[in-house]
Amino acid sequence: MPRVLIVAYGNPLRSDDGLAWRAGELLHGKFSADEVEILCLQQLGPELGESASRCECMIFVDAASGAGNPGEVQVREFSLGSGEATEAPRFCHALPPSAILGLSERLYGARPRAYCVTITGESFEHGESLSSPVTAALPRLIARIEELVQSCERTGRGQP
Amino acid sequence: MKQGNTIVIDPVTRIEGHSKITLHLNDDGRVEEARFHVTQFRGFEKLCDGRPFYEMPSLMARICGICPVSHLIASAKACDSLLAVKIPPTADKLRRIFGLAQVTQSHALSLFHLSSPDLLLGMDADPAKSNIFGVAEKNPALALDGIRLRQFGQKIIERLGGKRIHPAWIVPGGVSEPLTEANRDAILWTIPDALAIAERTLEWFKSTMESFREEISTFGNFPTMFMGIVKKDNGLTFYEGKLRIVDASGHVVADDLDPTNYSDYIGEKVEPWSYLKSTYYKPKGFPDGIYRVGPLARLNVADRCGTPRADQELAEFHELQRTAVLSSFHYHHARLIEILYCIERLEQLLNDPEILSNHVRAVARPNALEGVGACEAPRGTLFHHYKIDEQGLIRWVNLVIATGHNNLAMNRSVLQVAKHFVQGKRLNPGMLNRVEAVIRCYDPCLSCSTHATGQMDLQIQLVGPEGEVLDEITRT
Repeated sequence: MPRVLIVAYGNPLRSDDGLAWRAGELLHGKFSADEVEILCLQQLGPELGESASRCECMIFVDAASGAGNPGEVQVREFSLGSGEATEAPRFCHALPPSAILGLSERLYGARPRAYCVTITGESFEHGESLSSPVTAALPRLIARIEELVQSCERTGRGQP
Repeated sequence: MKQGNTIVIDPVTRIEGHSKITLHLNDDGRVEEARFHVTQFRGFEKLCDGRPFYEMPSLMARICGICPVSHLIASAKACDSLLAVKIPPTADKLRRIFGLAQVTQSHALSLFHLSSPDLLLGMDADPAKSNIFGVAEKNPALALDGIRLRQFGQKIIERLGGKRIHPAWIVPGGVSEPLTEANRDAILWTIPDALAIAERTLEWFKSTMESFREEISTFGNFPTMFMGIVKKDNGLTFYEGKLRIVDASGHVVADDLDPTNYSDYIGEKVEPWSYLKSTYYKPKGFPDGIYRVGPLARLNVADRCGTPRADQELAEFHELQRTAVLSSFHYHHARLIEILYCIERLEQLLNDPEILSNHVRAVARPNALEGVGACEAPRGTLFHHYKIDEQGLIRWVNLVIATGHNNLAMNRSVLQVAKHFVQGKRLNPGMLNRVEAVIRCYDPCLSCSTHATGQMDLQIQLVGPEGEVLDEITRT
């Protein structure tokens, strides 16, 4: 299992919600496959907990809605040992990142360092194209992810 | 939430889709009527109008993220009919493998992720803990098994189809790529673990049944017919065969029905309060023609599974009741036996000497203007029916989905549970959860059955004799 797992998720048929898939395409080939694995998913399922437990660092890439201005890139680190990992969703086949990390810790006894990198979207209507602010922000998003990967490779897994 | 003499449960949780339930009370405060409303909009049949027929399998797979493979199979079979071809034997077997993997992962999702909180933590458990985290806390091994079994099915789909969700590997005339030896061996290597999980989960489930006697007796425990596709020898199948219908006593009502003539014996009725149509057996009319499909029905109509361990379990299952097994609570049990069957059957098919053949697709132009494809999806019998014009463009589509077949039974089940557990004008979480849990037994997929996009929620309404809503519970 590569040390870093990038999970790009969203619905590529819902305009800016598909930005993570576009980021996944752009990231392809930038890293050694032995070091970094990139998954493009529609949603996060419980099975991802097992993959999380086997990597040292996990980067979730997603579209944000309502947080900041369209095109704004934000990076958030999931703090180790915080209560957010116990978040309990009702609909069990679409989970938030914190739930994936919680499952990783509870079921497999391991939890990677984890980040969520987002771009605030402008349009989430039906469509396969990205809005102008999101398209313009993609290079910044990619640069932030590359920095995080380098940081992850230097420091490895954090201790829960 | 209570409004007048109506209880509303909205949304229904831990199911696939968005729905609400209304419970209507009489003047004495007792439940008189119950309705399971599917509030998503149906639209795929119109959306496909004018598209080239060969696009249909890929388009149809988009109906659902849980069982896209079943739609791929039914759609491709309808397209095979349009081409008027017999697909190569290896393609037939590969499609079966794909379908069995799909059933395994879908059943695992239903049982482990959606229903195991009820089974492990109890129907009266704190709703905040009735989820996979509650299961992980109380029985981590069960939660791990659920994840591994679902991964097992998903991984097979990914190895064959290139991706887990919406793979486009099944095509009119066969499949697009043969199975490689490396993938065959990799799948075979995972079979023993999956089999062991299925075996121990079945044992665990059977050990819990005694604690659910009240639920078994009230969760959709009433006489109906049961329908499913069976093989020529009346054995269990998910891919090809004739339709068989048995009544509540287990006697065969209709046999050897050709699925392509489904409209001769299956009627569809629209109700003004739901986007989900109700199907019924035409000779008995509406609503007396009520029947159930899916795991419980398949095991009631099949004489055998055809694999050693599943056949042992089927024999035990049939001992639950001298007639057909009637309680919808036993859908869970049937689902586990089917998982066992799927894994055993996968092993048989993967060891078939022809399975690595490169001849996996028949190519032809359209030779018929109308085609029907049918298969057994995880939740029950699935029909795709297409008409095309001379240019091969779709001009008419009808989809009959498993959840629609079960609509009458689900409504009746909600009424039975509500009458037994809901008393007075207020709801409590235990009542609410049982009303939801009976729906979960059927594992309805509302995205499929209404062909909608959207997220899943549940609402239960308690309605008074004057139509006023007395209580309402909403979950989003």
